[in-house]
Amino acid sequence: MSATGGRLRRILCGRVRDEVDDELAFHLDLRTRDHLAAGLSPAAARAAAERDFGDVLAVRAACITIDERRQRREERVEYMGDLWQDLRFAARSLRKSAGFALTAIVCIALGVCVTTTIYAAVDAILLRPLPYRDADRLVAVYAQNAPHGYHGSNISYPDYVAWRDGVRSLEALGIWTWTSHALSGAGGEAERVEGAAVAASLFPLLGVRPARGRAFVTAEERPGADREVLLGDALWRRRYGADPAIVGRTITIDASPYVVVGIMPPGFAFPERGQLWVPFATDPAKEAHGNRGYAGAIGRLGPGFTLDRAKADLATVSARLEREFPRDNAGWAAEAMPLRDDLVGDLRRPLLVFFGAVGLVLLIACANVANLMLARGAARQRELAVRAAIGAAAGRLARQILTESLLLALGGGVLGAALSVGGVVALRRAFPDDVPFFDALGIGGAAVGFAVLVSLAAGALFGAVPARRAARVNLNASLRDGTRGAGDGVERSRLRAGLVVAEVALSLVLMVGAGLLVRSYRAIESTDLGFAERGALTMRVSLPEAKYAAPARRQAFLDALLARTAAMPGVTAVGSAQGIPFSGWNVQADYEIEGQPPRRPGDEFVSHFQWVTPGFFAAMGVPLRRGRALTAADRDTAAYVGVVNETFARRAFPGQDPLGRRVRSGKWSPWVTIVGVVGDYRHYRLPQPMGPALYLPFAAEPPHSQTLVARTSLADPLALAPAVHAAVRALDPEVPVYQVQTLEQQVSRSLWRPRLQGQVLAVFAALALLLAVVGIYGVISYAVAQRTRELGLRLALGATRAQVLGLVLGQGGRLALGGVVVGLIGAVALSRMLASLLYGVTALDPLTFGVVPVLLGAVAMLASLGPARRATKVDPIVAMRAD
Amino acid sequence: MTKPAVDLLQGTLDLLILKTLSWGPAHGYAVARWIHQLTGAVLQVGEGSLYPALHRLEERGWIVAEWRLTEHNRRAKFYTLTPKGRQQLGAETDTWLQFVDAVGRVLGATEQPA
Repeated sequence: MSATGGRLRRILCGRVRDEVDDELAFHLDLRTRDHLAAGLSPAAARAAAERDFGDVLAVRAACITIDERRQRREERVEYMGDLWQDLRFAARSLRKSAGFALTAIVCIALGVCVTTTIYAAVDAILLRPLPYRDADRLVAVYAQNAPHGYHGSNISYPDYVAWRDGVRSLEALGIWTWTSHALSGAGGEAERVEGAAVAASLFPLLGVRPARGRAFVTAEERPGADREVLLGDALWRRRYGADPAIVGRTITIDASPYVVVGIMPPGFAFPERGQLWVPFATDPAKEAHGNRGYAGAIGRLGPGFTLDRAKADLATVSARLEREFPRDNAGWAAEAMPLRDDLVGDLRRPLLVFFGAVGLVLLIACANVANLMLARGAARQRELAVRAAIGAAAGRLARQILTESLLLALGGGVLGAALSVGGVVALRRAFPDDVPFFDALGIGGAAVGFAVLVSLAAGALFGAVPARRAARVNLNASLRDGTRGAGDGVERSRLRAGLVVAEVALSLVLMVGAGLLVRSYRAIESTDLGFAERGALTMRVSLPEAKYAAPARRQAFLDALLARTAAMPGVTAVGSAQGIPFSGWNVQADYEIEGQPPRRPGDEFVSHFQWVTPGFFAAMGVPLRRGRALTAADRDTAAYVGVVNETFARRAFPGQDPLGRRVRSGKWSPWVTIVGVVGDYRHYRLPQPMGPALYLPFAAEPPHSQTLVARTSLADPLALAPAVHAAVRALDPEVPVYQVQTLEQQVSRSLWRPRLQGQVLAVFAALALLLAVVGIYGVISYAVAQRTRELGLRLALGATRAQVLGLVLGQGGRLALGGVVVGLIGAVALSRMLASLLYGVTALDPLTFGVVPVLLGAVAMLASLGPARRATKVDPIVAMRAD
Repeated sequence: MTKPAVDLLQGTLDLLILKTLSWGPAHGYAVARWIHQLTGAVLQVGEGSLYPALHRLEERGWIVAEWRLTEHNRRAKFYTLTPKGRQQLGAETDTWLQFVDAVGRVLGATEQPA
């Protein structure tokens, strides 16, 4: 195109020069003639003429400059005029075939909608920079124990100090840990606010400064000096009406006075949605190396240092710690990763899978539209030939087709971008609240730009082939040959068949992917959880440390609350635990089993443990298998008893009776006698395997936080919530109630990821199937129309209607079969990429790989059935007479 | 020659070209000849400077050019006044006459104004 333009310009510019030369020569010739007539010699006459004229070269140059400028302007005007004409023509011709235009636009819109929606998520989660200074230099540091298979584990304070002081490639390192506080007093009801205890260095190293007041200082990192708090902007606005005077004032946190030292800037939250921060205060003398109870640390790479260097330095320090403290540090090391990877976590793979999947949907949409355009091009062949015959340049015709494609693409793009607003809303709903950057998910400039780019690229893609064909239109053949059949070349049919095969293949890949993920979700969902998830209300209460320092007070509060709840109408059982299943509560410890030799480092018996009330298992619907349940009488740490789950019993005491055996979690802990065995139930998130668990009586060491479980006969367990809430308020208005939900909601929420994966891919696969059906239907319909004469002839020569039906169905069947074969090869290759997202099915799941091709084949046959039946209704006489 | 004088001459030359073309289509040589004949030796215009002026007027759309054969059967570029050019000629003629009138009144004044 540009080469042609250049040649054109050279020709035109040459013409300008020649014309100027001709004009000036004409003038000089006439003037010379006049001088000759006046009697001058030819040479003198010519010289005189040139003298009269002045500087010929300068005049020539001036004229050429002016003319070329004019020429360029005219070309531009002509080009714009052509473009406008092309656009108007395209719009008119599309309006004439509204069915085609509408189908094409809807196909593109679907493709652009899903692509833009997923792009918006990829942008929000993977691409947009984190809201921190030089965020790509930030590193998240956790603990890991490779021999045990622990990754991203909590860290201990002494390890942190050793890393902080011993790793030169990190210019700063700040420890943090989750906290959650009861906020009471001014500003409304008691409430629970998530936040963190942070080292003074943490926010400065992130590059975030308080918008008001000051940050923490290192002197505040010790018990007693830590009664200070930083508030998040959102919390400050919501609870304190954005009152600037709050800075410096004292507020009540966990029933203790804290001084507000500052307000963080708008939009800042840490970790996840945390809105309240206190100094990370600890007494180093009391911190053991083995106490890995703190969430983690964040560091900033020093200038010129790489992440690999920091990892190596951390490994060196960790190896030294392992040598110095073999008992607490054997197997333990630091684990460092870019902060974004930490925040995004295992969301990256599903997102990339989604992105690949939408790419396939878009390709299918493009193939479909290209197909439609080819069919249309065939039907318009004579129109194009006539236009070429009356003088339209081939390039102009190609441009006309391309303009039409781009118009369709833009129409589809605009519609698709509009639809993607809805797509994003749906996607947001599928994400739970605590997914990082979830707030930023929306259709912004980047997504709209992406939609425009994608639709233009799609338009160029599906417009290119028909446009090239239009440029090569064969005048003679098309005009002479009035028949419709011969106008459509073998090449074109082959191209269209190829496109349909590709569509079917891509759809199959998507459907297999969706099938695998949906089957995974079903497998997870139908896992026997071991407890009755329906008909139970859960809510969490936390007793402020300052007010409930005495265990007896905590005991009294919970006893009263449980008693009041049990007395409520519709409540059949009530109990509480430190953490209910799927809530993320997963505290573990190494256990020593009496009568068994101490285990080697790296081979400890690790079990989950927590304190529960006697009614907990009944409220959860977890059955007692052996021995007895915990009772209200089990409150003595001297005669400590506990119950274990079946996995604990089986692994700790293989082939033996666990009842009466004793276990303890360290030399200084009391022995716990096992008095009962309860059924295994899934505690941590699926698909994590079942692990051992030990349940201790709440009354022995009452924890501050408990999650209440109330089993009820009410249809909606949430209907119970106001009454329980009121009971808490009546007991103590300073105790916040939070995480109010049914047990079923809790489980369902924890399954959001496999559900999302299955749902999203299922939507894509359905779209792909729809598009493929449209494609097959289009191609077969068109083929039937093209073959009307041939089919008529066959009928006239005695073919039965059934034979004609079979002929057409066979054509559709061959296309589908080709697509299925190619698609199966692709699906086998690509399903391996899904392997890490699967649960309970293999990447080559026979059911999925068996059902999907059959389903796709059946749908393809169904799509060709309509045109095939039309073919049997061909009237031989009419068909033969046509044309 | 200083620049303002050239500009003045330029505008004047444009006006003269438009005027000569108002009698009908003509090629550059004819325009030059007519102007020479009508102004005598008063306006000494290099004939060459006529052509950039003609091309510029064409660019502005006041005249259009066309290659035709002369009576001697030679190919020549003929310029024709467009309706827009005719309008321009009228407006510029008025301005020019007002200018001449004003300058004339000053030069013809017999006493100093109060």
